[in-house]
Amino acid sequence: MIDPSLKVRRNALGAAALVALMSSTAYAAEPITILINNSPWYGGFEAVVEKYEADTGNTVNIDRTPYPGVLEKARNAVRGEESPYDLVNLDNGWVVEFYSGGFLTPLTDVDPDFTLPPEVVTAGDSIYWNEELQWPTSDGGKLMAFSPNANAHLWYYRGDLIDAPPETYDDVMAACAAHHSPPDTYGAVLRGERGNPIRFAFMPHMLVHGGSILKDPKNGDFTVTFNSPENLTALNKFLEIHNECSADNPGAIGQGEMIQLVLTGKAAQAAIVVAAQAQMDNPEKSAVVGKIQFAAMPNPAGMGKRPVFGSWQMGIPHNVPDARKAAAMEFIKYFLTEETQTAYAEGGGIPVHTGVLRGPLSDQDRFRWMKPYATTAESAVQVLLYKEGAEVEQVIGLRLNQALIGEMSPEEALNTAAKEIHDILAASGRNTGQLPDL
Amino acid sequence: MADQLNHNKSWLEGLWDLLDRHFKLLAVLPAAILLLALTVYPLLELFHMSTLKISFSNAEMVREPAFWDNLTKLFDDWIYRRALVNTLIFVAVSTSVEMVLGFALALAVSELVRGRGLVRTAMLLPILIPPVAIGNIWRLMYNPEFGVINSLLAMVGLPALDLLGSTQTALLAVIIVDVWHWTPLVFLILLAGLEALPDELMEASSIDGASYIQKLVYIIIPLMWPAIMVAFIFRSIVAFKVFDQIFLLTSGGPGTSSEVVSLYVYKVFFQQNQLGYGAMLAIITIAIVCVYLGTFALMQRRMARAK
Repeated sequence: MIDPSLKVRRNALGAAALVALMSSTAYAAEPITILINNSPWYGGFEAVVEKYEADTGNTVNIDRTPYPGVLEKARNAVRGEESPYDLVNLDNGWVVEFYSGGFLTPLTDVDPDFTLPPEVVTAGDSIYWNEELQWPTSDGGKLMAFSPNANAHLWYYRGDLIDAPPETYDDVMAACAAHHSPPDTYGAVLRGERGNPIRFAFMPHMLVHGGSILKDPKNGDFTVTFNSPENLTALNKFLEIHNECSADNPGAIGQGEMIQLVLTGKAAQAAIVVAAQAQMDNPEKSAVVGKIQFAAMPNPAGMGKRPVFGSWQMGIPHNVPDARKAAAMEFIKYFLTEETQTAYAEGGGIPVHTGVLRGPLSDQDRFRWMKPYATTAESAVQVLLYKEGAEVEQVIGLRLNQALIGEMSPEEALNTAAKEIHDILAASGRNTGQLPDL
Repeated sequence: MADQLNHNKSWLEGLWDLLDRHFKLLAVLPAAILLLALTVYPLLELFHMSTLKISFSNAEMVREPAFWDNLTKLFDDWIYRRALVNTLIFVAVSTSVEMVLGFALALAVSELVRGRGLVRTAMLLPILIPPVAIGNIWRLMYNPEFGVINSLLAMVGLPALDLLGSTQTALLAVIIVDVWHWTPLVFLILLAGLEALPDELMEASSIDGASYIQKLVYIIIPLMWPAIMVAFIFRSIVAFKVFDQIFLLTSGGPGTSSEVVSLYVYKVFFQQNQLGYGAMLAIITIAIVCVYLGTFALMQRRMARAK
């Protein structure tokens, strides 16, 4: 015969255990899987994931993939029946394909109460998509993603050789003249390799000289302005730096070669994305530990800064079950807090929270890149965020490279590129036109 | 009833006879059907895609007819033409050099009394290294700042070379890597052929006083001709498809100096996401390879008839 009070207590204990089990089931997020590129800032992202798992008990799997494989993995994931990834990280050149194709779920569709913290960098609005305008803008656009790294160029220079940050092109050329002594030292190195490298490298120079690719694409005017006098001035300056300050093979210099030249102490100045900063003070990789300083990209005397983002955007595929979408959303909210962003920076990541970029961390020597980057990130813009962007990039990347290696004159390169861009846009039915040849 | 039984019996015997006579055909039929399904269907789909413009909207694929647009684009596409010319140069030069070097090495090694196995094993190494590793090894070796090639040149007082960075030498640099990578394969095929030559024929020719050159021209090469042709066709088809080495070493640059067809098709298909036009380029490339093989087979047949 069981004591009735014992029976009641046993039943109460069982009920409590059941409630505890149910509540734990209700609040634990589903495990998620993230597709992300291998990069110099990956260590910071991984550190954040480990912290998230420790803090929340949720599980995050990471598929760390070399850059060339990321796009196809993301495409296959979102085009299939059910995506194996709950978050996909996309280069800015790819996002329009994913937004306009309807392959990502807007973050506010997953959590209608979610708003992006105002301190978080929007990477030139590349994380929004206005379906009606078919344009990435916060003006009437939905929040489609967040940026784990807005990744703009910084001007890296040897602080032990150059006293003041080179602000203008005159400063750059003066420093180049003082320190260009090939093959031991190169005055300034830029990317010149065909395709994305030279296209991306040229953009800040183009914008800072008042140039553009198209007239007003956001408002539907796709008139090609790539062969404008401003772009010619920009290209001549770009080529001048390459030819007078760089290595003998400027047309073959990609990001890897450029970083290698800086790390080995062979380059006195270079335009490199902020993501590479972590390697500069790593004694296992760098011969210039503590010697590299950072500044915003140079501008012509008397003109303002006009940097360009080469950002990453991370979004939730449309073909993921709701519970996993919610779990992905939990991670996003966690990632964007100031505390997490601080841990991200300490782990080698590039925070997107301006509170961190301008906060106490930025006063430390280790994070001396933060202030110039914060200035850059606040004023940088996006280019090529339209569906023909990938084709246009190939054209610009080829013609600029041909100008650099001497196969074409600068005028010929810009005119040819402008005509080819016009043809691409006309074939897509855009409202386009052309400037007269230079 | 008996007529019916006889009729059934003769029908069954006929069927059995039919199966017996065509057993070889029937035995390979399942494999043939599978092979056709795996090759013909994708090819038909590729043909179909080449007539379309493919885009995505609301997470669905949108297909619009665009055969003439794709064709017009092809005729206007100077980069494809340049890639085709580069590919033909790559195939002709790399395959020829590999054949000559591979045959010379095979002749030399076949004369060895000792160490033949060791040489054969050593020659296998470049084939075994993954293409990605080969690309990185050679990219480092070619590096004008830190590469071993320029270090060696500097040691003997020669000026530095930038083989990958110059439009004049980028394709040549990639051909050198291809020759290094694939000559051992040609060597192995031809060495196997040389080892299979009848000894008594060679001994007889020696007794008759034939010089080494005479033996080579009148005995070895004619007997080796089928093996040489196999190696040549195999290598030239693979050379037509070259992708990894160029992708890793030059990405087709500087300019378009090392652009090849496979790499360009990849760029159009995957980087520019032009699925329809990319399919058109793939079809044209397949057609060119088929014409190349057809011409080669025809030449072979004519040469055989002439003999």
